[in-house]
Amino acid sequence: MARYGMALDYKNCINCKACEVACKEENGVELGAEKHRIWVGSNNPTGIWPNLDITSATFVPSQCQHCEDAPCQEVCPTQATYYDENHVVRVDSDKCILCSYCMNACPYDARYVDDRTMTIDKCTFCSDTRLARGETTTACQNTCPTKVRTFGDLDDYDSEISQLLRTREHFSLKAHLGTNPKLFYLT
Amino acid sequence: MIAKAKEFITTIPVNKVSIKDLLSFEKSPRNMLVAVLTVAFIALFVIGVANYLIHSHHAYNVTRQHPWGLLIAVYIFFVVSSTGLCIIGSLGDVFGFKDYELISKRAIFGSIVTILAGFAVIAFEIGHPVTMLIYNVLSPGLTSAIWWMGTLYGIYLTFMIVEFIFLLKGDMKSAKRFGLIGLLVGLAAHSNLGSVFGFLNARPISNGVFYPTYFILTAFITGIYLAYIMMGFRYKLDFSAEVKKMLEGLAKIQGLLISILIFFVAWKMLTDVYGGMPNRAEVAVHIFHSWTFWAEVILAMIIPLFIILRDMGKSPILFFWASLSGMVGVFFMRYNLVHDTQLKPLQMMKIEEYQLPPEWVHYFPSMTEIMISLGGLGLCIAMYYVGTKLFNLDSDH
Ligand code: SF4
Ligand code: SF4
Repeated sequence: MARYGMALDYKNCINCKACEVACKEENGVELGAEKHRIWVGSNNPTGIWPNLDITSATFVPSQCQHCEDAPCQEVCPTQATYYDENHVVRVDSDKCILCSYCMNACPYDARYVDDRTMTIDKCTFCSDTRLARGETTTACQNTCPTKVRTFGDLDDYDSEISQLLRTREHFSLKAHLGTNPKLFYLT
Repeated sequence: MIAKAKEFITTIPVNKVSIKDLLSFEKSPRNMLVAVLTVAFIALFVIGVANYLIHSHHAYNVTRQHPWGLLIAVYIFFVVSSTGLCIIGSLGDVFGFKDYELISKRAIFGSIVTILAGFAVIAFEIGHPVTMLIYNVLSPGLTSAIWWMGTLYGIYLTFMIVEFIFLLKGDMKSAKRFGLIGLLVGLAAHSNLGSVFGFLNARPISNGVFYPTYFILTAFITGIYLAYIMMGFRYKLDFSAEVKKMLEGLAKIQGLLISILIFFVAWKMLTDVYGGMPNRAEVAVHIFHSWTFWAEVILAMIIPLFIILRDMGKSPILFFWASLSGMVGVFFMRYNLVHDTQLKPLQMMKIEEYQLPPEWVHYFPSMTEIMISLGGLGLCIAMYYVGTKLFNLDSDH
């Protein structure tokens, strides 16, 4: 029983999109731009030329935040969306009725329809694939050339992610919504 | 017990109707137009559903960013109509306003057919309706507004049917009892439908208490429009003094309700814009610039209110036409509610190369969505027509 989360040293991201490819490959995610579990966003530089703020033009890799108080789970009428024993937010495709309520309720646009099962799919922290095989990293973490991602157990005091979160400043996306994300952006 | 139930069912007063009876109606141009449209809409429904069964959700223009489309709006349109007719039916039958008793049976029957039409449409929007029936019971998501809305509407439909049967049998006491429970469950279901949107804290434009309460108000308004339309067709716009009195009363209530609605909407939009709160203010400004918002305001609010205020609801024929305009406006109201909720992308960063960052989410219904929606209307009119033949929907006195 763990409480999995991920820390992202996002300023190191070079937008190579290797993580997007690795995720699709490892988890058999459908092809097509709309069908993605994870993504790398790019911020346009802010300011007015010539006073552009170069440091604001960062790349922001992201995915499902595995919220501790997940709106997607709260709104699901059949409990198809649930927290598994490792606090990973998962979807039971047998119970999903494709009402799409969770897609509207997730503040991060982290969910999409898998056309093969016609149910909702999303990031699982590789629970069905790598973790099930006993590995301790996710595909996106494993492939990242600049070591942006650190996946691990937040309840384990000695895990690398716990140490990072103790020693580095960090923030979460849309924290004001009270979703308590388990994705942490290191500054 | 079984014998009793059997007796209860066999004693429901139903007229014997043959296909010939169904086809025998006055062949006036207006009736013919409605008949042809109804048949055409049902044909479109069949084509739309067939297309959906072949291509599933690909036949719809819904996307990751705009997962709810026209069919959700049309479902809401029908269930609002149902709740509204239930309120109108209850005026006489539950609350004992004598003047309104004459529409009770018709309105309650209307509330049944409209909700059935709504269910017929939503069955092709929910990806797995059968799974829904199973897991709604086996693993109910009690924190989900959709669970409550669906379950309560199911119970509501049952109560409406039982109430209608008692009305047919003339057992006013039992009808009142079931009518009251049905009304309360229906109102609860309906405001839960509002909360489906109100609970979305990811969507500041919809989040909050507004929709759950506004839904009840707009249901009442929709009910009155429909009451006018049904009575207009029933009496071919030639109203007796008794009917006129009732319609005049309804028009006055409507004047008050529309005025309240205008206050509601005006303040909602102004508070949305005021202060420039991100993700809310700019969406509201965007809504102000959309023609569908003004269609809603003009057709459902301004025109009907203007006609009522002219002579305080004394011209029922004119208000019949205003009610048709009102219902078109109510459709836009539902469409706007669904679309506007999803206008602002949740992902504001550029995630694909060679593209600009997303600005607004665009959506226009596909042909299949339009066909199924019109089909819902066709089904609703057809069921109502068959009902007028099968049952005596006029008041007994
Ligand atoms: S990010 Fe979205 S999908 Fe993931 S847990 Fe939070 S609300 Fe659910
Ligand atoms: S689409 Fe599926 S997972 Fe999402 S809320 Fe509906 S039933 Fe739950």
